[in-house]
Amino acid sequence: MAQLPPVKIKDDDREDDSDLSPFFGIEKGAVLQEARVFNDPQLDARRCAQVITKLLYLLNQGETFTKMEATEVFFAVTKLFQSKDIGLRRMVYLIIKEISPSADEVIIVTSSLMKDMNSRTDLYRANAIRVLCRITDGGLLGQIERYLKQAVVDKNPVVSSAALVSGFHLLKSNPEIVKRWSNEVQEAVQSKASLVQFHALALLHQIRQNDRLAVSKLVTSLTRGTVRSPLAQCLLIRYTSQVIEETSANAQAGDRPFYDYLEGCLRHKAEMVIFEAARAITELSGVTTRELTPAITVLQLFLSSSKPVMRFAAVRTLNKVAMTHPAAVMNCNIDMESLISDQNRSIATLAITTLLKTGNESSVDRLMKQITNFMSDIADEFKIVVVEAIRSLCLKFPQKYRVLMNFLSNILREEGGFDYKMAIVESILILIREIPEAKESGLSHLCEFIEDCEFTYLSTQILHLLGNEGPKTADPSKYIRYIYNRVVLENATVRASAVSALAKFGAAVESLKPRILVLIRRCLYDNDDEVRDRATLYYNYLQQGGEQEKFLFNGLDVPLVNLEQSLQSYEASERRFDISVVSRETKHQPLEKKTPASKKAAKEATQKGYANGHLTTSPSDAYEKLLNSVPEFAGFGKLFKSSPLVELTEAETEYSVNAVKHIYPEYLVLQFNCTNTIKEQLLEDVSVVVDTSEAEDFVQVASKKLASMPYGAPGQAFVAFQKPEGVLSVGKFSNILKFRVKEVDPNTGDCEDEGYDDEYQLEELEVTAADYVLKTVVTNFRGAWDAIDAENEKVDEYVIGVRESLQEAVQAVTTILGMQPCEGTESVPSNARSHTCLLAGQFIGGAQVLVRLQFGIDAQKQVAMKLTVRSDDPAVCEQVHEIIGSA
Amino acid sequence: MGLWETFLNWLRSLFFKQEMELTLIGLQNAGKTSLVNVIATGGYQEDMIPTVGFNMRKVSKGNVTIKLWDVGGQPRFRSMWERYCRSVSAIVYVVDAADRDNIPISKNELHDLLSRSSLSGIPVLVLGNKIDRPEALSKQALMDQMGLAHLTDREVCCYTISCKNTTNINDVMDWLIKHSKTKS
Repeated sequence: MAQLPPVKIKDDDREDDSDLSPFFGIEKGAVLQEARVFNDPQLDARRCAQVITKLLYLLNQGETFTKMEATEVFFAVTKLFQSKDIGLRRMVYLIIKEISPSADEVIIVTSSLMKDMNSRTDLYRANAIRVLCRITDGGLLGQIERYLKQAVVDKNPVVSSAALVSGFHLLKSNPEIVKRWSNEVQEAVQSKASLVQFHALALLHQIRQNDRLAVSKLVTSLTRGTVRSPLAQCLLIRYTSQVIEETSANAQAGDRPFYDYLEGCLRHKAEMVIFEAARAITELSGVTTRELTPAITVLQLFLSSSKPVMRFAAVRTLNKVAMTHPAAVMNCNIDMESLISDQNRSIATLAITTLLKTGNESSVDRLMKQITNFMSDIADEFKIVVVEAIRSLCLKFPQKYRVLMNFLSNILREEGGFDYKMAIVESILILIREIPEAKESGLSHLCEFIEDCEFTYLSTQILHLLGNEGPKTADPSKYIRYIYNRVVLENATVRASAVSALAKFGAAVESLKPRILVLIRRCLYDNDDEVRDRATLYYNYLQQGGEQEKFLFNGLDVPLVNLEQSLQSYEASERRFDISVVSRETKHQPLEKKTPASKKAAKEATQKGYANGHLTTSPSDAYEKLLNSVPEFAGFGKLFKSSPLVELTEAETEYSVNAVKHIYPEYLVLQFNCTNTIKEQLLEDVSVVVDTSEAEDFVQVASKKLASMPYGAPGQAFVAFQKPEGVLSVGKFSNILKFRVKEVDPNTGDCEDEGYDDEYQLEELEVTAADYVLKTVVTNFRGAWDAIDAENEKVDEYVIGVRESLQEAVQAVTTILGMQPCEGTESVPSNARSHTCLLAGQFIGGAQVLVRLQFGIDAQKQVAMKLTVRSDDPAVCEQVHEIIGSA
Repeated sequence: MGLWETFLNWLRSLFFKQEMELTLIGLQNAGKTSLVNVIATGGYQEDMIPTVGFNMRKVSKGNVTIKLWDVGGQPRFRSMWERYCRSVSAIVYVVDAADRDNIPISKNELHDLLSRSSLSGIPVLVLGNKIDRPEALSKQALMDQMGLAHLTDREVCCYTISCKNTTNINDVMDWLIKHSKTKS
């Protein structure tokens, strides 16, 4: 933290050479004994300061003090306020902040701190402000606010900075007070002291951060050049790029605002400002090559800087740019190649991975040789970066898979931690999936690996893959040996998955079946239950053959999470558990996280995962229970799908309303979750009036009012509609919230008898085709695809028009259809010109639908799409095409 | 103070240095901080802000240096009084003699505090402040109501004073200086 004074930092540094450290081997007990000197009537300031240093050292080493110990030390320390020694007083401030006893005790130093805050010694003023703001509560803050405000514009930069930084911390707990300092902070922004300017700018931005217009104004005025401090300038650049981000979202045409400012900063004399500006430019969304060029030029200069940190910063930024604009970075390739031999391995790694991204096919061999040379010198996390780079390189130049695969298998044999090995194995798995020619060699590399693999997780994963892919290769029998070795040599978990893998061979390759049976029979007496059970099960099924085999090896077509939930709610009874009632709606998509492709895609995936997680917090069976409790809806049949929450009001309005669409075969129920956010009101007879003029298929059949809605307690109103069965009726509903308002005295809770009627316009709610589709997970897409008769296939082509990227097009179509992407195909590798996306879903009525989307994008960013649909029900195929055609 | 005199004081303090540590406690608005100000500077202010925490003052009277711990009297600080009373030369307990309603509370707090074993034997000086007001109790009434007769295990003394009019402050000082421990 910036608050630590130099003394402390020096101590930490010294601690490195442990033998010489004055703190070597000090113990808490002994130091607490020493702390008794604080109570001496004749204070030895020097000694006290030393003891405090030791205490701070212990705290920073992670030592914890019990509440008793902390309290004792704290009160002893308070006695040190009698000393006038400046050095000691500084240590007193520090220890009070660090030891932070409970709030009702720490308050005892308030008066002393307030005195110091108005002291004539600058150091007292600055530090007392920092400590006071740390320990103070809202009530007391009002008393000292006047002094703090003054301190913000103090002549002494240290004091001013202390007040500004404290303001920063206080903003979290008492925003309304700090916001009143605006004028003083604005004055401090003009300060000549660079640190003050930095802190003031940060605080000013923090105060206004929720007001876009104010931030924009701030940036506009400051970019005209009153900021001198390099640190503040860096901040300003960050804020500027934020403003650019927000404004360019609305207006795309014309020159980018503030670009000139960023470009101007590239000629600043401070390196940090130059770098910050260059990075900001490279991170602009949709940056053009023309905009990028000057930034790349300065970064290129940094590459040959004598300071390692500049080289590192530059190469790291270029590395990121290379993911999106490899051509722009190409100019730096020569400088980058000289960095491969850089002493700093982090720089070397980044250089090489950047080169891998920008390089062409011919340079691959040379680069690979260089990488091999230094691979053993770098840390695991950088090795993972290299592995990821090689994976994407291999996907880019499939012809080179032999070199790259060899490299991967070599490093796989070397020492390494779990994450590293996992990255390699995952890369090989992806290569096997993406490049058919690589499959055989990849599989045999993996076989070699599991012969000597210490990670159970990886072994089981590989065995599973071998079981799936091995039987399809030209010579399946060669894998049997490796797999059976696992049964002989490994722990129970690996043995169990080896047995499963063996059984898959037996099921898939008829000629091997007798031999596999022999092997599995040997496992029947394994000493582990799971292995034995699996062996017995597979042995019997393999002998019988037929339907059961299929059931065993094709996997479950329901998400495991849902199955688990249903099993948990299943009560043992005469009725058998029926797997077909398990909901097929997917809630979690762990697949997404394992997808290949760039970090950006991964980021998007997690964001999406988050959104999904957020939307599905209320599980559908909870809805079902709720709806079944309403007598009016009893005859509607089985609930097909409940949509995620749709907000119908802006955040922070008087009444907050969101809606859920519940789809039944012949009915639609709209559930309105209403919350009253006004303390002084009680709402009664709350209902939602729905206008169906833009949704003609729907006929209102019931409406359920909410009798009373007190402040803060959410309640539900429902409206039910009848709709034709088997048709994907769509439409827009406009909604008005109607209610009777009664005033309530918030203090007494008394409510007036007479109310008045009022209404509140809500936003429109739309029912789309996606509402009639359930997301389902298909583990084996190809198998499921082939299982549906090819006659039920319908193909058509569509022109989607100009899109920013393929990813965007994929996302748009997936959202329109509301189906579940399979096998990680929803994320598009960056810069791909074509992409295939697989979707699975279930239509209302129960028909399974599988969709294959093939996208292509040309140089003008025109996207074309070929849509292939297969379904048990040919009518559904037509419907899918209609949805896309009308969208 | 002239240079010469400072020098003499310093010399004197080398040989006859006496030091004492005092803790001032009592309910809020009893006049503790005012008393400190009167002792230290002789000035009196009518409106004071409540002490949040403690004030530390050093006062030199003749060859005696007095360290004064003036601890706040609000309920939230009362549990912490004891910590600042350990090993002091004397405890000064200030009572607002004009605030008759709160005297029982003040009495309970005092007796509570003095029952702690860590404070046994430490002399106590009880001061009835604000006797400039007509409703103030007399010294005898104060001693009775505070139950000082029950405190037999230590030296207890009582004065009635007025910080506003500087009444009896000198007597207080004399008593305090008499109880300072000589150190050299």
